[in-house]
Amino acid sequence: MADAHKPLLDRATALLAGPFLLGQRALGLLFLPGKGTLPEAPPECATPRITVTPPEHAIKRRG
Amino acid sequence: MKTRLPDHGPLETPRFWRTLEERIETPEAQQAAHDEFLPGVVPTQDDDVHGLPVQDGFSRRDFFGLVGAAAALAATVACDRKGQGTIVPYTKRPVEIVPGVANFYASAFQEGRHVYPVLVKTREGRPIHIMGNDEHPGVKGKTSPRAMADVLRLYDPDRLRAPRLEGRTLGWMEAETQFHKALQTAKNAGKSLLLISGAVASPSRKALLANLRTALPTLEHLAIEPASGDAAEEAAKASFGQPVDIQPRLAKSGVILSLGADFLNGENPEALAAWGTKRRLKNAHEAFNRLWVLEGPLTLTGTNADQRLPVAPSRLGAVAFALAKELVAKGLPLPPGADLSAIAAGIPQGTDLPAKVWSNLVQDLRQAGRKAVVLCGAQMPAEAHQAAHLLNAMLGSEAVAMQPAEPLATVKDLEAAARGMAEGRYAALVLWDVNPAYTFPRATAWKDAVAKVPFRAWIGQVPDEAAAQCQLLLPENHWLESWDDFTTAGADVLQQPTIGTLYDTRQGEDVLLGAIKALGGQAPASYHAFLKERWQQSLPTGTSFEQALHDGLLKTESKATAPAFMGSSVAAATRRAAESNPEGLELVLFPGFATHDGRHANNSWLQETPDPITKMTWDNPVSVSVQDAQALGIQEGDLVRLSVDDTTLSLPAVIQPGQAKGVLTLALGYGRNTGSVAKGVGVNAFPLMGLDPASANVRKGVRLAKAGGKKELSRTQSHHRMEGRDLVRSLTLEEYADHPQGHHHGPELVSLYEDQAFPEHKWGMVIDLAACTGCSACVVACQSENNVPVVGPEQVARGREMHWIRIDRYYEGELENPKVVHQPMLCQHCDNAPCENVCPVNATNHSPEGLNQMAYNRCVGTRYCANNCPYKVRRFNFLEYTAYKTEPETLVNNPEVTVRPRGVMEKCSFCVQRINDVKIRAKGESRSILDGEITTACMAGCASDAIVFGDLKDPKSKVSQLVANSRAYRVLEEIGVKPAITYLADLKNPAVEGGRHAI
Repeated sequence: MADAHKPLLDRATALLAGPFLLGQRALGLLFLPGKGTLPEAPPECATPRITVTPPEHAIKRRG
Repeated sequence: MKTRLPDHGPLETPRFWRTLEERIETPEAQQAAHDEFLPGVVPTQDDDVHGLPVQDGFSRRDFFGLVGAAAALAATVACDRKGQGTIVPYTKRPVEIVPGVANFYASAFQEGRHVYPVLVKTREGRPIHIMGNDEHPGVKGKTSPRAMADVLRLYDPDRLRAPRLEGRTLGWMEAETQFHKALQTAKNAGKSLLLISGAVASPSRKALLANLRTALPTLEHLAIEPASGDAAEEAAKASFGQPVDIQPRLAKSGVILSLGADFLNGENPEALAAWGTKRRLKNAHEAFNRLWVLEGPLTLTGTNADQRLPVAPSRLGAVAFALAKELVAKGLPLPPGADLSAIAAGIPQGTDLPAKVWSNLVQDLRQAGRKAVVLCGAQMPAEAHQAAHLLNAMLGSEAVAMQPAEPLATVKDLEAAARGMAEGRYAALVLWDVNPAYTFPRATAWKDAVAKVPFRAWIGQVPDEAAAQCQLLLPENHWLESWDDFTTAGADVLQQPTIGTLYDTRQGEDVLLGAIKALGGQAPASYHAFLKERWQQSLPTGTSFEQALHDGLLKTESKATAPAFMGSSVAAATRRAAESNPEGLELVLFPGFATHDGRHANNSWLQETPDPITKMTWDNPVSVSVQDAQALGIQEGDLVRLSVDDTTLSLPAVIQPGQAKGVLTLALGYGRNTGSVAKGVGVNAFPLMGLDPASANVRKGVRLAKAGGKKELSRTQSHHRMEGRDLVRSLTLEEYADHPQGHHHGPELVSLYEDQAFPEHKWGMVIDLAACTGCSACVVACQSENNVPVVGPEQVARGREMHWIRIDRYYEGELENPKVVHQPMLCQHCDNAPCENVCPVNATNHSPEGLNQMAYNRCVGTRYCANNCPYKVRRFNFLEYTAYKTEPETLVNNPEVTVRPRGVMEKCSFCVQRINDVKIRAKGESRSILDGEITTACMAGCASDAIVFGDLKDPKSKVSQLVANSRAYRVLEEIGVKPAITYLADLKNPAVEGGRHAI
């Protein structure tokens, strides 16, 4: 049995620490300090977006 | 329900094999064929691809603990709104753009002397897909794999985005001032300026260069195409007194003789279309041509040959002149002045051509007469080209068109230019979209010579080896941002921009127009104005420039007269051919399928598309014949030292069945020093090129030795094997004629499942193996259409390439000269799909129209479906291949196809987005879908029309009619999965056994 190789303490730690850390993360998401922006606000871009412009004088076939 | 297997196919299943190990049946090969996947595909104990080492002794308790934790974590993280994008409407919508609706622009792509009229699909202003222009009378909607892949180069992050002087970014005004000052200085001093560009195929560019020469009389211009084959240029000048552009007209061919010519490699869509038309037989009594191939390397054309004979390139000229002598003996007249006295009668020495085969070839050519054509490979020696010109002149061939072309500088001209630079003859050097620092065989001498030129300017897109030697770098537009025009057979073609410039770049022609003005000449405001003015002066009545832009072309009658063959050139060529004997190993240097001359080396789509012959990705090993590998003790992947004169390269070797004994081949265009994709991939073979233009690409006296060590090859030939089953069928024409219904008798199949009902449509596909040449255009088209990710060489080596369609290549027969069949393999959209039954979350299921479809956001990545797929066509995202990409790379994505994240299975969807697009349009117009209206990307990309898609419920549809063809069979039909793809057996028309004369 694979279980026999794992000390009881390790298993107990894993089972308790998991939910604890998850709970901390969940609470952190709800009460994030300094995040006053509206949820609809677009994410900040690290680099400026490339502007795509239509071609001048070109004539499209269809669309 | 009972299903009967079709009763066709050959009497005995031919023995096909894919790798050398399979052919000689090593225990490893048997095990590999039996195993579902390559050892590296599935993560191993030491694998950290998921970020975690795989644990052993994983207990059930831990498993459930982790499942619980993962569920809680997933639920929590799902509440996070971080990273959510917002769709913002246009505040000022450009009139051309309707969100969600694709626009199509006609334009043109140039590669050397080849011009490809194309149609470019744009979404929200972004070009995302390239296909052939359906209005062009020659290409008829088809194009080359590299033309399709070149949309990726538009979004290359390595592109130069603003001018630079000595490493400092500057504005165009300052850059142009510097440029004009240098030109003016040269003019005032009466010193020469050297401009080196690519081939001039545009009449407007030619006129512009003439204007520049008027404004700057000391201008010297060289047009170079380093991989296009100097020998062809030399031979044309000798045979016709001028450079010519030679285009096969295979629609008129009965017998084709190729002297190392690879006209079926995808570069020539017109030739492929004509080939496909001749090969897609409805029955055995239709007209069929015959392809003879004499070649040293194995080419794609050679793999499609009816009769292929290995001949060393150095002997091709002698063989072809001997053929001419035989034809003279059979009554064909020689052109005036031609003298074949240097050639001995009969089969030339140094070749292993069997007498019976030789007489069959002579008889075939004599009988076909004007319907026979001889084509010579661009890289073959000049005397072989001259022999081909002589044979065509003697036969009066209708199946080849020759037009005068703009001259190209050879390696000899470039060497003279380098000498001139070293001697201080030039005041300025302008390199325009060329990279001689990489392509010139003597790179060090070139570098030293360039350093002697006081002013050096570079015009191009991605800074390369040549840019590193220049002071002023001027960033150029991509062709999808540019204007130009070209002359092609049957139409004058226009290139127009399909997007505004992404960066602060200019078209090269606009830079030169500015120079003309600065030098005191007259020039319009832009190249667009220059080109428009020229067109409007010559437009016939009833036509307009705007209409030509809309169509992408203006249809014309061919005005040029074919140049006359000069018989007096034959005697010298025959002497060279007679004296040309193999000396040790011969090396053939040819343009890489992915890279050409290196200009596409930074294109990851092309790098990852398996080379159609070697099946290598991301590398250019030297190909060695089976006999030479045995003699030298070389195994696949062994590192070898390849030496020509005083140049030695260390690189891996692959063993290539079918390659002539004593012949080595190596692809050009690899081993670049710049480009985030290209850098370090493969080795640069240009230093091995010769300085004699008549034989620059064929080197004799080559030395090859094992260097010790091995390299892991990213080679796909052995991937996705299907264990020893009846997968691929090939018939001779005689077998097909004698037994049109074939001999395959299968057992009656009993299915536990009820037949499914398809109320409206049942989508299906037919692939004709006789028309498929294996050019891989379908692979590139699919990659572009379906956002197929690139995984890189390490992942390919582990069998994790992501292509939704692959070309399985099968050999049959002897190792030294096997027959070859190519089989495109993709999801078969089985009615009783084994993958659907095993998906625990129903992520893959069957649509009411017969599509085996994927719900990506439902897939949890168990990979059970891939394990259960008998065709091995499912692809798993082992790593995050796309999510971390940013602009500009993401701009190439097709918004109609989901980009798949890590942990998700994907596969061919039969281009469901295209099906739905047509359905929506048909519904909007209150009509039913027309046959042929829906084209999958692979079908649209296939130049030989080997792939046909349509509705199997419509008995009049083309696909339904093809399914009833007597060559039709389904792969692995005996296992009862009912695939929706039908294959038509390959056909060969050999001259000896089971052959008949071509018509």
